[in-house]
Amino acid sequence: MANSVNLTVKLGSLIFKNPVLTASGTFGYAAEYKKYMDLNALGGFVVKGLSVKPKKGNKPPRIVETPCGMLNAIGLQNVGIDRFIKEKLPLLEDVDAHIIANIYGTKADEFVELADKLEHIGRVSALEVNVSCPNVSKGGALFGKNPNDVFSLTSSVKKHTSKPVIVKLTPNVDDVAAIATAACDGGADAVSLINTITGMVIDTKTKKPFLANRTGGLSGPAIYPVGVRMVYEVYEKIKVPIIGVGGIYNSDIALQYLMAGAALIEIGTANFTNPNITVEIIKGIKEFLEGENIKSVGDIVGIAHNA
Amino acid sequence: MKLEIFENKRVAKDTFSLKIDNPALFDASPGQFFMVKINDFDYPLLRRPFSIADFNDRHIEIIYKVVGEGTKILASKQKGEFLDLLGPLGNGFGDIEKNRRIFLVGGGIGAAPLIYLSNVLENMYGVNYKAYFGFNTKDEVYVDFGKTATMDGSLGYAGNVVDMVEPELDENSLVLACGPTLMLKRLAYVCYQKKCDMKVSLESRMACGIGVCLGCVVETIDKDFKRVCVEGPVFDYREIEWQTL
Ligand SMILES: Cc1cc2nc3c(=O)[nH]c(=O)nc-3n(C[C@H](O)[C@H](O)[C@H](O)COP(=O)(O)OP(=O)(O)OC[C@H]3O[C@@H](n4cnc5c(N)ncnc54)[C@H](O)[C@@H]3O)c2cc1C
Ligand SMILES: Cc1cc2nc3c(=O)[nH]c(=O)nc-3n(C[C@H](O)[C@H](O)[C@H](O)COP(=O)(O)O)c2cc1C
Ligand code: FES
Repeated sequence: MANSVNLTVKLGSLIFKNPVLTASGTFGYAAEYKKYMDLNALGGFVVKGLSVKPKKGNKPPRIVETPCGMLNAIGLQNVGIDRFIKEKLPLLEDVDAHIIANIYGTKADEFVELADKLEHIGRVSALEVNVSCPNVSKGGALFGKNPNDVFSLTSSVKKHTSKPVIVKLTPNVDDVAAIATAACDGGADAVSLINTITGMVIDTKTKKPFLANRTGGLSGPAIYPVGVRMVYEVYEKIKVPIIGVGGIYNSDIALQYLMAGAALIEIGTANFTNPNITVEIIKGIKEFLEGENIKSVGDIVGIAHNA
Repeated sequence: MKLEIFENKRVAKDTFSLKIDNPALFDASPGQFFMVKINDFDYPLLRRPFSIADFNDRHIEIIYKVVGEGTKILASKQKGEFLDLLGPLGNGFGDIEKNRRIFLVGGGIGAAPLIYLSNVLENMYGVNYKAYFGFNTKDEVYVDFGKTATMDGSLGYAGNVVDMVEPELDENSLVLACGPTLMLKRLAYVCYQKKCDMKVSLESRMACGIGVCLGCVVETIDKDFKRVCVEGPVFDYREIEWQTL
């Protein structure tokens, strides 16, 4: 089409062909989806959270469905960084979309080691730092709940990578904008939000929490208004791009995130229900912009703040 | 993949047979399953896993029990409506050694995949087998072959299907089983004692069905986790850490 809309998004030195990414933990190592969709259609994908050593994860049951959502306590099971680089990345060689490595650790040193290992892996475009994990040196309190921890963790990782660093924020805090600001002060090139919201389901038959881990993270359509609100709040406080995540299952909600201030979005749980949902959302965003005669997707980012 | 419903009818107490037009685009082996989307919209959110109860040129059959919200909605679907299926998924019962004494053992709705398995054993492998099915009561029975046990004694053997099949098993037996976890646990114990082999189809809560969410794992004897949706749902019973189930 002659005057087709411009869907491209810039994040630091990276250009994404459209604003739609997949969320960590909901898309495996991406190759699993080749059978169901065209990975090349995506702006990029964030792979399952990676740790220095392989991790077994929590005992089952690990998931339970809730109205328009689900709780998960997978426990960050993953193959570890070395196997990811050796076995999983080669499967994606022919894919034309950005690969973002989601990393996590229990000490700042582990995050740094992961950043070092990925530094010379050209196929990985950026790092997403999952701060929703327990900080062992602080007795297990989440890194992501404390602005000082987020600041120092971000700056440590930044010193060890030349790739853009995205800090993924937890919604389980009082003031998410303060945490986002700390990430930016630490040098974050972008922030992504939200991770899952902590919840619990009790099995009334056994009179015990349903999940072996007792608590789990709520995701899915039920959480999207929380995510949109948090993106809206953070947009007013920081300058770097925001990646909106949480409950996106159609293009209308994707547009809400963009209008709240997200430059890119990640789709998570919705991939489980419809493996082709990302492609449908890209199409929906494009149709909306065409219908409204808006030339570039960037033009609607944060537009809800003008009201 | 949206496929048309050919028939959705009650076959026993709370139990329905759902026949869907087979697009003849793929093959499916016994023990494999489909992830079925209940509605066109996003409630209920997750797809439901169902085993294949039969698979032929014309139809894919699923036999399901109404146990909750999703299956209740499914029971109201009519001929001519479309259902979104993902699959066939997982590893089924696989190759069957012919020179074994083969036993199909099913409990309740777990008998469903064994119906397709019995068809394949007869028509493709041409092997003999014996089938044993357990139900709570007579009005739950939806299979018309094999021997039946009911807990209340209203049909066939009075008691547990595991007790009914136990005297038959020996070292040359191969048990192919599906059913409630408690029944499978007891059956696994019997198989250990009798030193026979068993392939068993397990259930687990699933979000994706395609191996990406890591929600459906079971613990294995080497203290690892395996995904029921990809490495299963059919496992060699010796792999499973039964105490954790
Ligand atoms: C591989 C596999 C094959 C199956 N084959 C059959 C079959 O052929 N016929 C049949 O009737 N049932 C089968 N089941 C069980 C079936 O998936 C559940 O009965 C069904 O998901 C219940 O949905 P619901 O909405 O009615 O129940 P609800 O209790 O309202 O469901 C709530 C949530 O829990 C999940 N859930 C509830 N019970 C089970 C269960 N037993 N196993 C897995 N997830 C569950 C649901 O999927 C849903 O996400 C199979 C399960 C698995 C894993
Ligand atoms: C099964 C599952 C596993 C997840 N694993 C991770 C993970 O490893 N790292 C991470 O940063 N977020 C993880 N998440 C959070 C998602 O990336 C996302 O932030 C959250 O689910 C909200 O988006 P959604 O509602 O679209 O799923 C996981 C979510 C789910 C449902
Ligand atoms: S259901 Fe998601 S990995 Fe098995």
